[in-house]
Amino acid sequence: MSETLTTGANREKDDTVLEVEGLHKAFGGLVATDDASFAVERGSITALIGPNGAGKSTIFNLVSGFYEPDAGTVRVNGTDVTGMEPNEVATEGLIRTFQTPRKLEGMTVREAMLVGASDQPGESFLKLFTDPSGVEAAERANIEDAHEMLEQFEIGHLATQPATDLSGGQMKLVELARAMLAEPEILLLDEPVAGVNPTLANKLSDHIARLNEEGVTLCLIEHDMEFVMNLADPVIVLDRGSVLVEGPSEAVRNDQRVIDAYLGGDSA
Amino acid sequence: MTLRERYDAMTRAEQGVTLFVGGFGFLLVLALLTGTLTPTYTLYLAGLTGMYILLSFGLNAQWGYTGLINFSVAAFFGIGAYATALVTATNSPLSIPGGVVVGLVLAILASAVIAVAIAIPTLRLRSDYLAIASLGLAEVVRQIVLNQRDWTNGSGGLRGIPDVFAGWPVLGGLPERLPGLEFTEYAVGVPGLFQVRVLGFTLDTPFWTDLLNFVVVVVFVVAVYLLLRRVHRSPWGRVLRTIRSDEDLASALGKDTYGFKLQSFVLGSIVMALGGVFYAFLAAYVSPGDLEPINTFYVWIAVILGGSGSNRGAMFGGFVVVAIREGTRFASDILPSQLPVNIPVLVDVYGAIVSDFGSTRLLIVGLLIVLVMRLRPEGVLPPQRELVWPSALEERDE
Repeated sequence: MSETLTTGANREKDDTVLEVEGLHKAFGGLVATDDASFAVERGSITALIGPNGAGKSTIFNLVSGFYEPDAGTVRVNGTDVTGMEPNEVATEGLIRTFQTPRKLEGMTVREAMLVGASDQPGESFLKLFTDPSGVEAAERANIEDAHEMLEQFEIGHLATQPATDLSGGQMKLVELARAMLAEPEILLLDEPVAGVNPTLANKLSDHIARLNEEGVTLCLIEHDMEFVMNLADPVIVLDRGSVLVEGPSEAVRNDQRVIDAYLGGDSA
Repeated sequence: MTLRERYDAMTRAEQGVTLFVGGFGFLLVLALLTGTLTPTYTLYLAGLTGMYILLSFGLNAQWGYTGLINFSVAAFFGIGAYATALVTATNSPLSIPGGVVVGLVLAILASAVIAVAIAIPTLRLRSDYLAIASLGLAEVVRQIVLNQRDWTNGSGGLRGIPDVFAGWPVLGGLPERLPGLEFTEYAVGVPGLFQVRVLGFTLDTPFWTDLLNFVVVVVFVVAVYLLLRRVHRSPWGRVLRTIRSDEDLASALGKDTYGFKLQSFVLGSIVMALGGVFYAFLAAYVSPGDLEPINTFYVWIAVILGGSGSNRGAMFGGFVVVAIREGTRFASDILPSQLPVNIPVLVDVYGAIVSDFGSTRLLIVGLLIVLVMRLRPEGVLPPQRELVWPSALEERDE
């Protein structure tokens, strides 16, 4: 991990899972992402922070394939995924969550979880008829995994509840658990504690740390500075669509340029 | 399991629907016995119900599962009906040889090709575009059928469609060979109080023809239902249901949403075409009038009323739509044309309702939809249980 603060992103990382280079995106006259470059090292929890309008969400959408960049490249595990469809990016091992997950109507929690598993033979229409026993075996294993994952997130008791009955915080836990079923190389979390009460936020923080210890690489964007400071290393600060500084949370917090950016001052 | 145990194991919605259908069936038997309905006409109604159930199944596989808005139900129905009629009708301008099997294959192919053609440009866009495009498609298909006289015989329609199994060994011509069954009329009742005449009809060729049709539609409905039930509870169906709730989520989890939407659209369209194939044999005559948009909306009503996303709901909805369509016709026959009591305003309202039952029918349908939306927006019989591949759950939930 980086020891000191670097101006711009720290690109001297040995083993990167996600590499973003020169990413540019404009909506009409508004430049949302302006030559943004950064890298996420394998095994780290990397946080992207920045004031409102710094371009955090746009970068997430560009990286995960929901927006197409005007320029620049995105590489996941060395594979160029620039311009790919979101599902293709996901297949490369990059799984993202959403800030405000929509509820899956009419599903129980475990049904909603089962969508996460990748490579299900039962997702092929033909195999439902030509290979029902294969479908059954995979489904059985996936149900087992889903229950186990819910247990790990301490919400096993919710498995057969309707997904629409969950609280906002429980939804976030289910989303995280479901994303894990997809066995991601890197997990992108979009404001994981937005709108969650402090107790649950701490719990989520613990779970994220646990996942990281189990070897999952995470990249998250977050508004809540405190949440990020205790969890993430390194922290990448975005301002006006590009990377301002990168470094350990303590150093970032005390940097004058970061303070200026957050206070809306002129950081130049 | 005894009947009682079965009934107790149902959810409240299922119990309600069971009682409703049971009560309706009882009235039907009563009407049959007393001669209010003839057996042949009852079988025709049952066939019509089967057809609406197939159409509702098709739309449910698109709208109920995946959230695709398709306003061209009548077009896919028409493609099925015309494909069959062009092969079998005596005045078909295209002399394609063959019977029911050729018609069926042609209907499936044509509906699949047209579904793909309309889906490719629209499914990548927001869902409203498919809605608009399909509305246009319905009209295009209707106009082609109406104006391409040398293919479809235009507004004259296609006549003389033979029985389903015409030319087949054993089954072909079976209705003609079966004997007429005569039922003697009886008078039953409590002497001095009331008396009704029951039975007193003959079952002959038209009855056997409709009975054969009825068996065919039952086979269609059961086969499609079993197929849909399997795919609905599968991981495939689960992806469709995820797309319906949140398409972005599905693609973020690595699902090729475009491919899934395409499959769901084609599947639904083929099932609708099956409804059309059957209709050609049921009515023995198809015309461009069968492709009117109103039929699309009847099917939408059936699906919404029954409960979007529920196969059994679609079945119930199809049943209710036929009950309204034909029931109002029936009511206009038996209701007196003038209110017996002279109350100023009511007389006029009553007169207007009874003299124009076509409009009254739409009024009833409209009121019904408002009621369902107000009281039970999820429909009468939405999916009642978890949709998971059933055998994979054995042992687990004990």
